[in-house]
Amino acid sequence: MSRTSRVAVLVTASAALAACTSTAPPAGDAAGAGGPIAVTAADDRCEVGATEAPAGTITFSVRNTGSKITEFYLYGTGGRIMGEVENIGPGLTRNLIVEVPDGGSYTTACKPGMVGDGIQAPFTVTGSATRSVDENTRLAEATTGYHRWVTSQIEALVPKTQEFVDAVKAGDVDTAKALFPVARTYWERIEPVAESFGDIDPKIDGREDDERDPGVQFTGYHRLEKDLWVDGLQPDAPAMADQLMADIRDLESRTATVELTPVQLANGAKELLDEVATGKITGEEDRYSHTDLWDFKANVEGSQGAVAALRPVIDEKDPTLGPVLDERFAAVDALLEEYRVGDGYRLYTDLTEDDTRRMAEAVDALGEPVSQVAAVVTS
Amino acid sequence: MLGNALIGLREGLEAALVVSILVAFLVRTDRRSELPKVWLGVGIAIAVSVGVTLALALAQQQLTFEAQEAFGGILSIIAVGFVTWMIFWMRRVARSISAELRGKLEGALAMGPVAVVVMAGLAVGREGLETALFFFTAAQAAGETTQPLIGFLIGIAIAIALAYLIYRGAISLNLGRFFTITGVLLIFVAAGILAYGMHDLQEAGIVPGLTTLAFDVSTAVPPDSWYGTLLKGIFNFSPQTTVAEAIVWVAYVAVVLPLFLRPQRTRAAIPTT
Repeated sequence: MSRTSRVAVLVTASAALAACTSTAPPAGDAAGAGGPIAVTAADDRCEVGATEAPAGTITFSVRNTGSKITEFYLYGTGGRIMGEVENIGPGLTRNLIVEVPDGGSYTTACKPGMVGDGIQAPFTVTGSATRSVDENTRLAEATTGYHRWVTSQIEALVPKTQEFVDAVKAGDVDTAKALFPVARTYWERIEPVAESFGDIDPKIDGREDDERDPGVQFTGYHRLEKDLWVDGLQPDAPAMADQLMADIRDLESRTATVELTPVQLANGAKELLDEVATGKITGEEDRYSHTDLWDFKANVEGSQGAVAALRPVIDEKDPTLGPVLDERFAAVDALLEEYRVGDGYRLYTDLTEDDTRRMAEAVDALGEPVSQVAAVVTS
Repeated sequence: MLGNALIGLREGLEAALVVSILVAFLVRTDRRSELPKVWLGVGIAIAVSVGVTLALALAQQQLTFEAQEAFGGILSIIAVGFVTWMIFWMRRVARSISAELRGKLEGALAMGPVAVVVMAGLAVGREGLETALFFFTAAQAAGETTQPLIGFLIGIAIAIALAYLIYRGAISLNLGRFFTITGVLLIFVAAGILAYGMHDLQEAGIVPGLTTLAFDVSTAVPPDSWYGTLLKGIFNFSPQTTVAEAIVWVAYVAVVLPLFLRPQRTRAAIPTT
């Protein structure tokens, strides 16, 4: 390379890099980023020039003084990568410009030799840059966490319902009866998600006396329940079994791509408890099999799943709510344990009025803090 | 010096390998007329990488980390599609050559000019942004020390030399073996690019499971060793491979390799003359 062209490259590159380091601070963040934080990365140490910075755009200027190629990372909670810069060769300085909207504890790491967890150090981000709700990392993590949980339930729902359906088609009434409440457990845990696709829920979980458009049949779990416990298997039971399985598969494929908002999670947690009050404690839902307590337990677990996913957000915004939720969930669980029989529960027909009154009280007591969750997470 | 040379070697190999096989293939099947399209694709990729790097710098902007990773990841997955298509296209050509239909080859199996340009461009462009940024950094440091820049350029030069050797080796094979060997090599290259793209998407947080490792051989194969660099540069082998990466790699090879190796109706065995 000739002298002049080298100078030209130098000038261009310096201008480019100078421009890189002076990114405009985001709106609403008066402090902005100070100068770049100098990081000296050697083969055996990682000296970060500052241990804290205000939220917003943070720039690290990483100089490799060692002999190995190194990388520099900024990690958030749970090992989430906020930003990284790779290929910092010996003798080079490279910048990491990273957008950190929320204050909190972070971790810096140099990785000499590009291996392992590197040389880590805590890094604090103060304040918080104003960001809209859906960009809030914690809420995003809550919804992805809940989505993972729902997926895990569907992964069990599909094979269990398949077993139930196979038993119906084989005419094996006893096996089908035993599987009915077990398969429904997974369904009842995630019912709010199914209800978000308006048309699936009536097909899978409709009751005989629900209003339907003319020509639409009574299908789903409860239609088969009626056959198994009351009418005996009808000629069209195998077709009904296949229809149920197809609807469950439809639910599975739609759930894979569903996008839930934190408010939907919170409302879903409350809806499940309303379900308990109107459908389970009244014995309305499983009117032929009387396995309402299995559904009751599953609804509560579903509510708990949604609340657990939102828990980091709840704890951040209202530290008093979490312990109340824990206590009330525990009370409902303890009450249900009293009615446990082997792997299942006592039938609804064996409950006294006193039993259902106690259940209603416990569920009401739980519904009260759960109904506050939506307001807390959106505050 | 050595470290920067290894970076240049790795980035250079990732770009040059597919291009060298593409060139060898065109030369071997008497299509030298298509070669300018290869260099056009390479040129476009370099221009875009440098252009984007400069434009971002001038606009005082930087791509967010997620955008950068998503860009690299998605581009890699598109590149896999093209390379896969190339593998099977070569296979078809091999069959018609072995059936001595050379005359008909031009018409029926002409590769679209756009495809050649895009494929060469993607092969180079995948890592172009990162390489352009690195080059600027190295050039800037040249004010104090020219070692990194020289090291990086030496690495690139070695990569180009290696790619040239692969090209020479490939065109010296007899035609039947040429197709089999380059095809199988490309399948492993493509599987590596796919796994690499998956890793990018995991780093961007688009795909979960970044910390769930299938295996970790980074003590046996340090990524900054010369053999680690070669494995990474040619096969995109990463010593710390996540489960998701391993799954897509195995799935790709398990599907494509048997399809590629299944017997042709006419054996591709023609003596070299």
